Amino acid sequence: MPDWSAFVRERLQSLNLAPKEVEEVVTELAGHFEDIYEEQISRGLSESEAERAALNEVVRWRRLARNIQRVKQEGTMNARTKHLWLPGLVSLAAAMGLLMILIAISLQPRFLGRSPLQMVILPWLVLLPFCGAAGAYLSRRGGAALWARLVAGLFPTIVLFVMGAILIVTRLVVVSRPQWWYGSLAVVLGIVLPSAALLLGAAPFLKTAKPKVAA
Amino acid sequence: MTKRIRSKIARGSAELSILALLAEQPLYGFEISKRIEEKTGGALHFTLASLYPMLYDLEKRGWIAGRWEANHAGRDRRYYCLTPAGKKELAPLRREWSFFFQALDRLAGVTNA
Repeated sequence: MPDWSAFVRERLQSLNLAPKEVEEVVTELAGHFEDIYEEQISRGLSESEAERAALNEVVRWRRLARNIQRVKQEGTMNARTKHLWLPGLVSLAAAMGLLMILIAISLQPRFLGRSPLQMVILPWLVLLPFCGAAGAYLSRRGGAALWARLVAGLFPTIVLFVMGAILIVTRLVVVSRPQWWYGSLAVVLGIVLPSAALLLGAAPFLKTAKPKVAA
Repeated sequence: MTKRIRSKIARGSAELSILALLAEQPLYGFEISKRIEEKTGGALHFTLASLYPMLYDLEKRGWIAGRWEANHAGRDRRYYCLTPAGKKELAPLRREWSFFFQALDRLAGVTNA
């Protein structure tokens, strides 16, 4: 029997997908060729006739590669939006929305004099698990892998960290008291604790849901 | 009717054919093309080149899901099954095609041809 995997792989060289995905396509199509070939042999055709019958299944290999590429690539883009960007943005919008609401409340005259820790940071940390849960849940519902669910859940603090780093490195923000104590406190209150709170909410959705199949 | 229908209608009906077949049981690519050919008396035929981009497209839309399993000969094949979203899509598709054929019949009397 011909080596159908090598045959398909050679003809789908223009397929520009992740290696694992290319391998899956090659294995699947090679299996199809194998089945056609064996079916023809079982009907009494010679090996060369059976091979010819199998080869008739694809006339334009470039066109097939292009069609598979188009479908799979569109899928990848949509999947990334569904698995990562959209859930991440929901998590980020919820976290930032809550932070703004808490800041607005803390600025009301009746709350003046209370510490920002009491009025903003602590309530925000209490509410953050819901934001992490929303991001990870939406990501899991879209069928995302573990890493994407984790990133979607932690998206608010990832953005905060990146933004903070950019502002400090470009010196758009200058730390007025560059002692280790203030820096550490900022990192703990702005990154570590919020990340822990988000992770707490995301944790239940980091387990893979069983795929649903129609009865 | 054994003559192969090579038309846009045949291509357009591909989705319905695949979803309807997978509603009965999970099948892999070769089986899908065989069943379609057998059930339509050879009127519809999917080559490998036309079948797989269609399967990947349906999978991308979440109407079918593929998983690797050993077939009766013990070889790994990618079996496709209908997802709940695909099942939901099948009923209106059937109605649309039924409506289309009824309309065509009223217009051109295709049933009595």
